[in-house]
Formats: sequence, structure tokens, C-alpha cells
Amino acid sequence: MKKASSLSELGFANDVHHALFRPIQEAAPPSPTKRHTKISVVGAGNVGMAIAQTILTQHLADELALVDAKPDMLRGEMLDLQHAAAFLPHTKILASTDYSVTAGSDICIITAGARQLPGETRLSLLQRNLALFKQIVPPVAKHSPGALLVVVSNPVDVLTYIAWKLSGFPPNRVIGSGTNLDSSRFKFLLAEHLEVNAQDVQAYMVGEHGDSSVALWSSISVGGVPILSQLTKDKAAMEQGVLERIRKAVVESAYEVIRLKGYTSWAIGYSVASLARSLLRDQHRIHPVSLLAKGFYGIPEDHEVFLSLPAQLGRSGVLSVANIQLSEEEAARLRRSADTLWELQRQLEI
Amino acid sequence: MKKVSSLSELGFADDIHRTLFRPIQQAAPPSPTQRRTKISVIGAGNVGMAIAQTILTQDLTDELALVDAKPDKLQGEMLDLQHAAAFLPRTRILASPDYAVTANSDVCIITAGARQIPGETRLNLLQRNLALFKEIVPPLARYSPGTLLLVVSNPVDVLTYIAWKLSGFPPNRVIGSGTNLDSSRFRFLLADHLEVNAQDVQAYMVGEHGDSSVALWSSMSVGGVPILSQLTNDKAVMEQGVLEKIRKAVVESAYEVIRLKGYTSWAIGYSAANLSRSLLRDQHRIHPVSLLAKGFYGIPDDREVFLSLPAQLGRSGVLSVANIHLSEEEAARLRRSANALWELQQKLDL
Repeated sequence: MKKASSLSELGFANDVHHALFRPIQEAAPPSPTKRHTKISVVGAGNVGMAIAQTILTQHLADELALVDAKPDMLRGEMLDLQHAAAFLPHTKILASTDYSVTAGSDICIITAGARQLPGETRLSLLQRNLALFKQIVPPVAKHSPGALLVVVSNPVDVLTYIAWKLSGFPPNRVIGSGTNLDSSRFKFLLAEHLEVNAQDVQAYMVGEHGDSSVALWSSISVGGVPILSQLTKDKAAMEQGVLERIRKAVVESAYEVIRLKGYTSWAIGYSVASLARSLLRDQHRIHPVSLLAKGFYGIPEDHEVFLSLPAQLGRSGVLSVANIQLSEEEAARLRRSADTLWELQRQLEI
Repeated sequence: MKKVSSLSELGFADDIHRTLFRPIQQAAPPSPTQRRTKISVIGAGNVGMAIAQTILTQDLTDELALVDAKPDKLQGEMLDLQHAAAFLPRTRILASPDYAVTANSDVCIITAGARQIPGETRLNLLQRNLALFKEIVPPLARYSPGTLLLVVSNPVDVLTYIAWKLSGFPPNRVIGSGTNLDSSRFRFLLADHLEVNAQDVQAYMVGEHGDSSVALWSSMSVGGVPILSQLTNDKAVMEQGVLEKIRKAVVESAYEVIRLKGYTSWAIGYSAANLSRSLLRDQHRIHPVSLLAKGFYGIPDDREVFLSLPAQLGRSGVLSVANIHLSEEEAARLRRSANALWELQQKLDL
């Protein structure tokens, strides 16, 4: 194993390991079955590092590789994680500006891209990130031809479509973090108000990760009990405008964090680590993530558009898309979300 | 429980909880035995937030309070953590510039302070941080008179002494993160070179968290086996200069990370969370932390100086100091470290 430390350069005796430890006689070489899991994170900014650190703390992978264009910052981040070795299970941590460091990854997480400026919509970021993806995705795909790609950079839906096109991968292996986090924020607001644990709240936001997202009110449940009728009992107080204001509050909450602290990091870190766990450990759990949505929920077969739908995730990526009963209103909003994204994609030059 | 969300303001019906859930009849009120644990983190900068996030991920506490002078940044950080509710065990997260939010904490972690500038020694930071501690420590002590204080701000040894004086607490309840992280970095370098898991390496750095730290070479072991003789077998290679170069590399590694990424965060986050766990969960584990060292290892009884020694930590703080056999050289270095800190403390205006 390549020695990462500089102790040899400092004069420390080599081969001390052999003086301290001896293998048993006639030991066989390791089984060729690959059990060593590797996750690569492209982009060592606030989002990438929050994801990397959460993956490390939750011990999701045996090997973690970081890639960024800024070599000093990248090396500093790598060392900062490595220095925690005494407090963590043993994870090999690598970093390089060269994509070959990502070779053999099970999952590649792409966070690189311009940060959303206060007031800037996610869709405005698109042009800035398209050129970057043309540099990132082909080498990532080349070095890990069997990997699962998870796109986090915004605007995530269109960038996931771009990543899919540039990678040449089958669509089940390319997903975007999508509305996984929006749904968490939605659950948080509901759970606080209902005085329950957020993990007992089943509530999806789907469609675009952004302004035209769709809150699936008709399928919200708490502890397995559908609650929309309870919520809307008082018709005098609960006109349709209230539900829409809540949806907007969820969308707005991301912008609020950006306005207050300059960016978001922790929540998206947990969100993506949660996806990584479901994928890597073949959990078959349902997450709303951005995927190739053509043919689902009335989205036309020729609209190769990526948007978030509740999907079952496992080791081979998207296993299936859940078939949830939508209200008329929800189905219409979802199709409008799809149309918005489709129009935008058509203006792209890939 | 106070509703933190704005759903009521948006027109969401109140008291929904009661229509969804009903308590069993004649239920008794909760037992008065306090089992809810609370940790407060003072300073929501890179270090404070890395500590807070790691504590959250590791599910160490029921309640987490954040304090900072910058209200917007603080609010943003709190929201960013709360938005991860769907992915985390339920921890109540509070934030305020007012120290009342820290009331009844089991552990208070102080990270506030000026950041170490590249090239600046830890000792140069002292004047800048002393004035700040005069604002921080008294209210903390008042709101949580029984708490354990964990100081992380640098220079940690003198600032822990200052926190002790300003709090009026008994010395077993005031510790500094000290060389807990230096020891991790030390173990990382050794483990990587020896090709073992860092958690199998027993290796302490003690004394000042900084330039005059002491590496306890004579008590180093791997898997319980003392290894100094193995390392020093090759006398031609292992002249005394090499061991000192390695110690300096450990001290330097912090400055290196600061130079590369601007600050350190992840490793200190894990280190402080690790200490919090041992304290809160009464683990009786040994950690090198900054504590009142007078009377130990030949340090005079009238020297009220704080520096790192291997100590057993538990729910009441420092339970005891380990009695490790030091070489002549190590004992002399430790006393020199104590003198350097004592001289510095003498110049303070408390």
C-alpha cells in the first residue's frame, strides 16, 4: 500500500510493519470478489465537503476520493479529514486534481459548479455549469464505467440530464439529488407543527427542484395515516392559497439559508449521504430523486426530461418509480414542471 | 413545546396534533429525573459548526444550542441543520445571540475567538481572545452552573485557565481540547507508516497544544506492544533528530491545513465530539486534554497552569490523571512546556 505519510522522508525506518507483524504461514491471497466500496466526490467546496464528511462519519465507504480544480484547498481538506483518523473507522482518503483518482468508484457525486447567488434562481446558473460538466463528466465516466452518478450541482434536474447525455450511461445509473432535500424541509415544517418526529411524516415534493416543484398534499401521511382531510377541515381558514404558501415556504427556505449564511451545506450533506447509503447498501428505499421521467405520470415518451419522482433506489441505481395516486391538480402541476424543464433543455447545446 | 415553524403564521390550523393523536387515559406526567441531555456550542464559525454537525450526526445529545454574535449567520446555520430533520434522529436545535439559550447545558463547548492567521503562533492569539472570554464565560457559567466547560479556542491551554478563573467552577469541570487532536494526527502519521489502524496506535502528545508539545515516545505502543525499541533499532538511521522532526511535523500539520484551506474544521470537529461523548456518556476513557496540571509530573503545586495530560473523563469531568512513566527527556520537556505557559499566564490581566 502506497504510504501517504512523509515519515519515510523524515528518516523513519521503512519496513517497520514487518518487524511488528507477521502473516500466518501459507496464507492465501485475498478473494477476488470486490467488497471494497469507493465513493468519489467532485468539488471540495462547502457542499462537497459536507457530503464527504457525513459519508465518512456514517462510515458508508471504504475509500473516499475528492476532486477539485484548486489543488491547495483540496489538499488541505484531505489532510483535515485524515487527521481525524483516531476518531473514525479506517477509511482511505485520497484527493487529486486528476480524475484518475476516482477510478473504480461505486458512486460518483458531482457537486462542482458555481454557487447560487442570493436572489439568483437555480435556472440562471445553468449556462455557467454546462461548460464545467463537459470537463467533468466524460473523465468520471471513463474512469468508473460502472459507477452510479449522483448529481447535486444546481440546477440539478437539467444538469442531471446533461450528465446522463455526456456519460453515455443507462438512465437508471444517473440520478440527481432533486427534491430529496426539499421533501426533508417539507417534513421538517410539518413535523414541527404537528409535534411529531419528522421521520414519521410521509410527504413528497416532486417535479423540479426549484420554483415549480409540486407538493403532493393528497398523499401526506403521519404514522401511516393520511392527514389531508384533517388539515383542510376548517374550510374558512384553509383556502387553497394556504397550501401553496406552504409549498413556497419550502422552496424559499433554501434561499433563506443562502441569504443568512451565504450557502447551504449541512442539510444537503445529510440528504446525499442518505441517498448514497440507499444505493450502496442496496436498501430498496424510496426517495424523491431526479431521474428520466418520460412515460411516467403522463409525461410524454419523447420528452427526455429529468425531474424528481419517488423512486426505489438500490445497488444498480433506480430500481423502479413508485406509482402514487395524484390529484388532478398535482398531475397538472407535474406536467407543467416537466414542460418548463423540457423547454429549457431544448435551448441547450450539448 | 414551542412551535418553531411558521406554518401557523401561514394559516395552517393549530392544534392538529390533538386531532391526530390522543394520550392514554390517566397518564402520569413525566418522571422528574432529568434525562434530556443538552450541549451548547459557542461560536458558529467553521470549527463550531463542524463540532455541532458531528455531534448531531453521532446522535450524542437531545438538545443542541448554538450561540454567536452574528445573528444572521447563526440563524442560517440553525436552519441548515434543522432542514436535515428527515435524515437524523430527533434533536432539538436552538440558536440565539443571547446566552439564555444555553441554560441547563450538560456540556458547553467554547469555540469563539479569532482564527489563527497563517504564520501566527497560537500564543499570538491570546490578547485577542482574552477580552472575548470575559464576555462569554460568566453568562455561560450563570446559565449552567453545573455544566462541564470544554474550551477549543486557541491558544487553548491559557484560554482554558482563563475560562476556569472566570467561571468559578471546580477545576475538574473545566477542560481544554488540548492535544487530543495532536495525538490523533500523531497516531495518523504513525498508523499510515506502520500500515495499521490508527485506533490500534497508542501514542500521546502532551503539554502545550502548540510549539512546545511533548511526544511521549517511550510509552507508544501498537496493539498493546511497545514499539520504541523497534523504531530505534537502526541506530544509523534513527538519531534523536528524527523523532524531533516527527513531533514538529505533527505540530506543523495544523499550520499546513490552515495554509492550504484557510482554517481547520473537520478533525477538530471529530475530536471535540469524541470528548463530548466520553464526558456525557461517562465513558471513563483516557484522553490527552488540557487540565489543571499543578502537582502532576513534577509540575510545582503553586503553578496553576493548564496543559494536556492523559486524563480519565466521565460525567463529572476529569476523573483522574493517568500516571504514565516518562523518560527523563520527556519529563524535562513537559516541565519546560509548563514553564512556558506559566510565564505567559503571568502577563495576563485577569
